[in-house]
Amino acid sequence: MIIAKPRLPGLLRGIGLALASAFMLAYVLAPIFWLVSSSLQQEAELTSIPPHWIPDHPSLANFRAIFLTGLGYAQPSANGVDPTSGGFIPSVAGNLLPAMGNSLIVAGAVVLLNLLVGVPAAYAIAKIRFRGRSAALYIILATRVVPDIALVVPFFLVVRKLGMLDSLMSLIITYLAITVPFSVFVLASFFEQMPDDLDRAARVDGCSRLQVLLQVFLPLALPALVAVGLFAFLASWNEFLLALMFTQTAASQTLPIIVAGITSDFTVSFSFLNAAGVLAVLPPVLLAVIFERYIVSGLTAGAVKG
Amino acid sequence: MARIRFQSVSKRYAGGQAAVCDLNLDIADQEFLVLLGPSGCGKSTTLNMIAGLEDISEGALLFDDQVMNNIPAHQRDVAMVFQSYALYPHKTVFENIAFGLRMRKVPEAELRRRVLDAAEKLEISHLLERRPSQLSGGQRQRVALGRAMVRQPSVFLMDEPLSNLDASLRISMRAQIRHLHASMRSTFVYVTHDQAEALTLADRIVVMRDGAIQQIGTPDDIYERPANVFVASFLGSPAINLLEGRLGSDGGRLCFQRGALSIPLANGFTDAAALEGREVLLGLRAEDVGPVDAATPVLSGVVDTAMPTGSDQFLGLVVEGVTLFLRVAKDAAMPEGSLASFGLNPQRLHLFDRASGLSLRAGR
Repeated sequence: MIIAKPRLPGLLRGIGLALASAFMLAYVLAPIFWLVSSSLQQEAELTSIPPHWIPDHPSLANFRAIFLTGLGYAQPSANGVDPTSGGFIPSVAGNLLPAMGNSLIVAGAVVLLNLLVGVPAAYAIAKIRFRGRSAALYIILATRVVPDIALVVPFFLVVRKLGMLDSLMSLIITYLAITVPFSVFVLASFFEQMPDDLDRAARVDGCSRLQVLLQVFLPLALPALVAVGLFAFLASWNEFLLALMFTQTAASQTLPIIVAGITSDFTVSFSFLNAAGVLAVLPPVLLAVIFERYIVSGLTAGAVKG
Repeated sequence: MARIRFQSVSKRYAGGQAAVCDLNLDIADQEFLVLLGPSGCGKSTTLNMIAGLEDISEGALLFDDQVMNNIPAHQRDVAMVFQSYALYPHKTVFENIAFGLRMRKVPEAELRRRVLDAAEKLEISHLLERRPSQLSGGQRQRVALGRAMVRQPSVFLMDEPLSNLDASLRISMRAQIRHLHASMRSTFVYVTHDQAEALTLADRIVVMRDGAIQQIGTPDDIYERPANVFVASFLGSPAINLLEGRLGSDGGRLCFQRGALSIPLANGFTDAAALEGREVLLGLRAEDVGPVDAATPVLSGVVDTAMPTGSDQFLGLVVEGVTLFLRVAKDAAMPEGSLASFGLNPQRLHLFDRASGLSLRAGR
C-alpha cells in the first residue's frame, strides 16, 4: 500500500517564502535606508525619541554644508556649538569633497593599472605555454593568502623608504599589490575558457600575440573586465587600514579616513556623518547600476575554474 | 607558391614525450597532401608546425628554400581551417572573412570585392550580416573556409575540417574542397583520421602513427600496396582480414600455409627461397574475393554470419578457426552454416612479416 506523503500546502509554503524574503530584504536594506533617511534630517530631529524613519522635515542642509565648505563658501562651526541648534558644521566638513576626489583618483588609477597589468598577465597564463606557467599563477595567488594586516608594517617601511608617505601614490601602489592577483586569477580563468583555436585562428589570420589580445580576446572579455574593474574599484574605495597608516593630511586622505574622522571630532553631528556616508556609498552603487548586466556573467565566468 | 620540406624535424613537449620524431617530408607546390592517422599520431602537431603554431624542437622546416623555424605564425603566408571552425563570435560573417585581409592592410575596395567573391562561391552571400552563433554547423564551416580562401595563401592548412558535420554534408563538402584546391593553386595540407576523406581528396597520403611516418604514397599506393600491417589495417572498411601462418613451398612455388589451408602466392618476392618457413600474416581485403575458377586459388569455409548491406552483403567465413569478413554480391544465397568457396587473386594478397609487420612484397 502506498501512503501519500503529506505535502506542505502551497499557500503555507508561499507565505513562508515571502516572510523569509521580507526578513532578508529588511536585514540588508534597513541600515542603508536609515543612512539615507537620517542624512536628510536635522540633528534635532535625528536625536528625537522615538526616531523618525521618515523625516518630518526632510532637508539637504547637511549636503549643502559639505559642498559649501568644500568649495570654500562656508566655514565650519566653532568648537562647543550645540549640533542640535541647527546649521552646525563639523571641522572636517571641508575635507570631504577633496577626500572624495582623492578616493576617485586612487580607485580610478587602481582600476586602470589593474586592467593594464592584469589583462596581459592573464592572457599569457591562459594561452601561452611557457616554463613555470602554473607556478606563476600559484605564486600570484599565494600572495593573497597573507592577511593585509600582516603586510601593514612592511608596506609602511617600504613606502617610507621610497619617500611616498602622505601621497596618493603610496595608496595606488599598495592597492595594486592587493588587487592585481585577484584580477589576474579571474581574467585568466575567463581567457582559459575561450577556445585555444580562437587564439590560433587569429594568429594564422595575421595577428601578433598582442593583436590577438586586443582584437579578439578583449572584446569578448568585456564582462570579465567590468567585473575585475569593479572589484578593484570597490577594494580601493573601501580600503581603510593602509590609508590610515600612509596618509596624514587632507592632501592624500581618502573618504573612509575623513568620514571616520567625523566621529573623533570635538562635537559629533550624526546627521552630518550619515550625509557623508551617503556620499561614500553613492559612486560604487552608481557603477554597479551602470554595469549591472556585465557583473553576473563576469563573476560566474571566473568562478567555474579553480 | 610553396614547396614545404621537413628535414629531420622532431617535436618534443616539456614533459619529454615526443609528438613527432625525425620527420622527413617533401610536399610539392600545389600538391594536395593528406596527413592520415589515429588520434595522437602527430598529424595535427605536424600541421601546427607548418602554421607556426607549434615550435620545432629539432630539424628544419622550409618553405621553398627559406627556413621557417623561427618565423611566427602571423608572418607566414598560411591560412588554416579548424575542426571547431574557430570563428570570432563578436564579429559578423563579413568581418570574420575580412579579418585576415584587414590585418594585412588590404585596401577597403579590394577587401570588399574579395570577401563578396568568396561568399558567392561558398553560397553564403545572404549570411554576411549574421553572427556565427546564428549559423548552422555547415554554414559555419563555409565561413571558416571563406576566411581562409580570401587570403589566397600559398599554403592552405585544414585540421579535420569536416569532422563536426553530419555524414551527407561531409560528402558534399569534400567535393567543394577538391574544387577549391583546383581553383586556388595553393599547397594544401589536410589532416584527418577519416580514411575515406583521405582516399577521395589526396594527391598523396602520409600515414602516421606514434609520431612517425608509416608510408607516403598516392591513395592507390597506400590502399593497394600498404607498407606494413598498420597501414593495411588502418585503411579499408571493413578492416583487412589478417591471417597468421607460415610460408612453405608446394611444388617449387611459395605458398601461404595455415593448417590444411595452402594458398599459392604470386611471384614478385625478392628472394623466395629465403622466405620459406617464415612466420607471416596474410592480408585479404573483404572485396578481394571472386567466383571460383580453375586458375585461381580457392578459399573455403563455413558461413558464420551473413549481413546484407543494401548494395551487397558481408559474410563472416570461418577458415581454419579464424573468421574472415568478406564482401560478396547480394544475389549469392549464403545461408548461415553453409559451406562456401571463393576464388582468390594472388596479385591482390598482402603478405607481411609477422615479427616486424613489414610488407614482404618486392620493392618495399
